[in-house]
Amino acid sequence: MGHDIFEITVNGIKLVLIFLLMVQAVPMLVWLERRGSAFIQNRFGPNRVGPLGLLQLGADAIKFLTKENFVPTSAKKALFYAAPVFALIPGAVAFSAIPMATPVYIEAFEMFGQNWGPYRFLVQGYEIGVGIVFILGVSSLAAYTILMAGWGSGNKFSLMGALRASAQTISYELALGLSIVGVIMMFGTFNLTEMINAQQGPLTFKWMEYTVTANWLPNWGIFFQPLGALLFFTATFAESNRLPFDLAEGESELVAGFHTEYGGFKMNLFFIGEYAHMMIASGLMTVFFFGGYSIPYFSVADVQAWALSVTQSEMSASILSALLHFLSFNIKFGFFLWTFIWVRWTLPRFRYDQLMDLGWKTMLPWALANTIITAFIIYFATI
Amino acid sequence: MNTDFINQIGLNHYLILAALLFTMGMAGVLLRRNVIVLLMSIELMLNSVNLTFVAFSKYLGLLDGHIIVFFVMTIAAAEAAVGLALAVTIFKRFREVNIRFFEHLKG
Amino acid sequence: MTADAFLFWFLAIVTLGSGLSVILLSNPIYSALSLAMTMVGISALFVTLNAYFIAGVQLIVYAGAVMVLFVMVIMLFDLKSDTVAFAKGKFTGALKVASVGLLAGLVVAAIDLSKGLIGVKDGENHLVALGDMEATKSLGRILFQKYVFGFEALGVLLLVIAVGAVSLARSKGGTHEH
Repeated sequence: MGHDIFEITVNGIKLVLIFLLMVQAVPMLVWLERRGSAFIQNRFGPNRVGPLGLLQLGADAIKFLTKENFVPTSAKKALFYAAPVFALIPGAVAFSAIPMATPVYIEAFEMFGQNWGPYRFLVQGYEIGVGIVFILGVSSLAAYTILMAGWGSGNKFSLMGALRASAQTISYELALGLSIVGVIMMFGTFNLTEMINAQQGPLTFKWMEYTVTANWLPNWGIFFQPLGALLFFTATFAESNRLPFDLAEGESELVAGFHTEYGGFKMNLFFIGEYAHMMIASGLMTVFFFGGYSIPYFSVADVQAWALSVTQSEMSASILSALLHFLSFNIKFGFFLWTFIWVRWTLPRFRYDQLMDLGWKTMLPWALANTIITAFIIYFATI
Repeated sequence: MNTDFINQIGLNHYLILAALLFTMGMAGVLLRRNVIVLLMSIELMLNSVNLTFVAFSKYLGLLDGHIIVFFVMTIAAAEAAVGLALAVTIFKRFREVNIRFFEHLKG
Repeated sequence: MTADAFLFWFLAIVTLGSGLSVILLSNPIYSALSLAMTMVGISALFVTLNAYFIAGVQLIVYAGAVMVLFVMVIMLFDLKSDTVAFAKGKFTGALKVASVGLLAGLVVAAIDLSKGLIGVKDGENHLVALGDMEATKSLGRILFQKYVFGFEALGVLLLVIAVGAVSLARSKGGTHEH
């Protein structure tokens, strides 16, 4: 956490801020989703409360908070109450491990008659050496919240939804894990920051003793792993239970799936959990395949040098470059979040056997093929 | 109470913890009658063994323990798959998953 | 108490508590959920032992897949909770408890006796010196050089297991007449 009180406090506040950032993004995404769906389906969406319907969010929040707290008599109380709370944890913990900008330097200063040494704060909750493995592991725990909710509700539709959801999560975790093995092999690291550092500059490709450089393209992972990117993004749709894979809550068959019996704020927590998964998926997509927080055509060092020439002070230069990179990260991040919404309102839902066929018979073999081909190319390129 | 035992965490602490977990698993296997709980107790025992391997690996400075943990994990996953398939078969037949239905093995 | 010691005792209490509830709770669902909790605790213990990659794999394989499978099967059966956690068998419970206690005593005594025998190298621990990625890389090297036979054998075993599980699940059910 840190070496002295100041560092520990700042890191603690940072964790809370990242959590709040994640939770605060949810109402905006809900608004975007409702307006976007209306736009895609040629209707209006919420446009009465406030300008562009923006105050609809506040109205919804008040409705969620003041709704009657209802527990079905057949429910297992402990599980019923625990499930929505647990739904938040995996998302929040995994999201904090994604780097969002370059670190911020704080110079040595004097406060309360004491000297506080120079600090270096990362713009992420915590840096973990085995970043990807940690994120995959933690977000795989999300299956329990669905199972707990489904079992705890004491409702057959909930149970069916939970069973479907967990089977789907386990099946697609395989394709998800295998699709990023290629990325891991290519960068040779699990660490997300090192991956971002490896994706700077123009597109450079080494084959035997030749080096091909394409100046008009950034050195992003998508150009090396197009199939991996496609498989990864598809699998994350299934992992976060979004359309076209939202069999867990297929309204036409299961009322609302595992959260049939939930209402008000508890329902809202499940919602935040689902959006958190979308955000993790978008963040990972950005980091693995689109250069993370780095700005295309400018390396991190370039931006830092420019910021230093503008501000003339190391501390404000690091803050400026962190802000710029944060903006760049958010543009990419927002694009993928929009893609999630876009796909949801464009594609119809799969049938359950089609879902399983796609996962086991199409995506898994392709992910395996991608791994093997990547291994061969890396072997021959570095001979 | 010896405060050294509380403050100085060493190999023995991990070994004793793993031994306790193993004992719990064994007690579960011997005392419970539900097939699924039996399987879960076996998982508990395997996990405690993993803990000893990783602890030894750290304190002896060898990585081989980690490899054995991989192997144990694979075996555990395989065992769970077959065990659950057996449990499903028994349940389909008797609508019950009690260990007493495993008594005779004739086909 | 140092931070390391606090972490260890906290995790030890969590794992032992949830491990106990696995065998004491009469509802298999709660047993399975507490076993998942135990797995997460053990994964955190792996982190305290500098085995980061193993900790991640433990989370993905055990907590994320194996235990979800257990919970799913229990839910599929829609089992009522057992009326008593410990039903009587041929041997009385006291005998079993005694044998378990005996084993526990043996194991602890063995650990206590072996204290001096194991050459613990705290100072020259090369696992600590290696970075995360270096440790993982050398792990891969050992796996594919020294233990490559075991690795291949496990691959074959998994294939056999997959075939066996599928054929078991597809069978009509039951191994014998009533």
